[in-house]
Amino acid sequence: MMPDDEQILAEVNLMLVEIIGEDYVLGLHIGMDTYFDADLELESIEFVRLAAALTEHYGEQVNFVAFLADRQIDEIINLTVGDVVRHVAGCMAISTAGAVHG
Amino acid sequence: MSRFLFVVPPLVGHTMPTVAVGAKLADRGHQVAWAAHAETVGALLPRGSRLIPVKADVSGQTPAQLQQRWQGLQRVAAFQFLWRDFLLPLATSMVPGVAAAVDEFRPDVLVADQQALAGALVARQRGLPWATSASTSSELTDQFATMPTLGAWIHQLQADFQHGFGVTDPVDLRFSEHLVLVFTTEALVGSLAAFPGHYAFVGPSIGTRTGTSAFPWEWLDPDRQHIVVSLGTVNTEAGGRFFATAVEAVASLTNRLQAILVAPPDLVGVVPDHILVRDFVPLLDLLPHLHAVICHGGHNTVCEALTHAVPLVVAPIRDQQPVVARQVVDAGAGARVHFGRVDASGLRNAITTVLDTPSYRAAARRVQASFAAAGGADAAADHLEKLACTSGRRNSAELGGRDEFFEGTGQMHGQLTGVID
Repeated sequence: MMPDDEQILAEVNLMLVEIIGEDYVLGLHIGMDTYFDADLELESIEFVRLAAALTEHYGEQVNFVAFLADRQIDEIINLTVGDVVRHVAGCMAISTAGAVHG
Repeated sequence: MSRFLFVVPPLVGHTMPTVAVGAKLADRGHQVAWAAHAETVGALLPRGSRLIPVKADVSGQTPAQLQQRWQGLQRVAAFQFLWRDFLLPLATSMVPGVAAAVDEFRPDVLVADQQALAGALVARQRGLPWATSASTSSELTDQFATMPTLGAWIHQLQADFQHGFGVTDPVDLRFSEHLVLVFTTEALVGSLAAFPGHYAFVGPSIGTRTGTSAFPWEWLDPDRQHIVVSLGTVNTEAGGRFFATAVEAVASLTNRLQAILVAPPDLVGVVPDHILVRDFVPLLDLLPHLHAVICHGGHNTVCEALTHAVPLVVAPIRDQQPVVARQVVDAGAGARVHFGRVDASGLRNAITTVLDTPSYRAAARRVQASFAAAGGADAAADHLEKLACTSGRRNSAELGGRDEFFEGTGQMHGQLTGVID
């Protein structure tokens, strides 16, 4: 069954808490509009961990490393948690469609 | 006798390594000058140094105003600001002044800091042998490995800048094809095997500071350990939360340590007796008394601490600092905390761990030995002399009698340029 955006957001949230650290995230609401750069101050190495966590959870069809590699500098600065949620949902939809037709 | 022109940005950390190298060259009888923003860089140069003032204006804003804007930004946004809104406009504004400085001083070799791109551009336009001064190793590492478009973006910005000055074969101006002086060693950078032969890892270039600030030495209690908390020259104002966290972190450690915060006293407020807050401290003189340094990961502060085998707690803020912090952690010479996120108990834990675990001091000693072996400013001066020799032979063959001619004009021009006293 396809997870909806709300469910993916909750799952991505758990991954971010794991990566960033519970103590910090406690005082912070992570929603679809939360910015990785300005709000979470996510570091390069933490993006690597997030990519690994996404692939581990959703499978190889979610390739966040390739997603990041295509983003221009302004897109990276403006990248929100919602962008990642929609990216995951998009990858899942494509792979589900592929499974149906294939 | 050769003539060396250093081109530096209006940034303390990028100027300091050139000061020590310039002093070594002057000791060896060479002519040395700096082309730079006089108001910022002048105070950093030793007495008697020759400074050729260069307009270093970025969209009508002073370096201090720009730093203010820069401080509000996080990682990638700060990186974008650094290149698009600071380094390239700075380079564009400095080109005419650097070109005039070259006409006036007639250097045999130009040394351009990695953030003074105007120096590299002018050197290439004039066919001058030139060296890169890499005050940190961060440009040598891929700090945004997950974001390959950022590297391409920097190349495009640099190409546009060079095209604007009629350069038809733009290059990466951060790296000279003749000599790249890197003021660190493999103990921090890791394996050097992948770097070309003209990259010289000479270790930190640390000179004596001018205008050493006073310090109440009698305050230091020999029965307690001592730490310094410093956020460098650029980040002090933005550090209010961090300094407050540091005060809270060490408040309960009064029996075992004394802490010196390098910060504006009114920013920090009232503190217990075992904490001292000073605008400035003579860090080089203090280091032999210190057991740990807590800092933002500025390359100079880190290298000064490790030169004295003092381990670190590093809280990187932006720019090159996460890279330097990772190098310190990988070398085993310190712990890392998150500048924006760390709380008092987390910082206290990091400080006591570094103080109480002998491996940190031992690792700091290994880095210290690596620095000592690399030669520092003396080794940098050796490399620059070699570069001047190679080019001198070439120029003599091409022009004949050039050195005598320029010695004469050099003295005349010396009276026109600013001399620091």
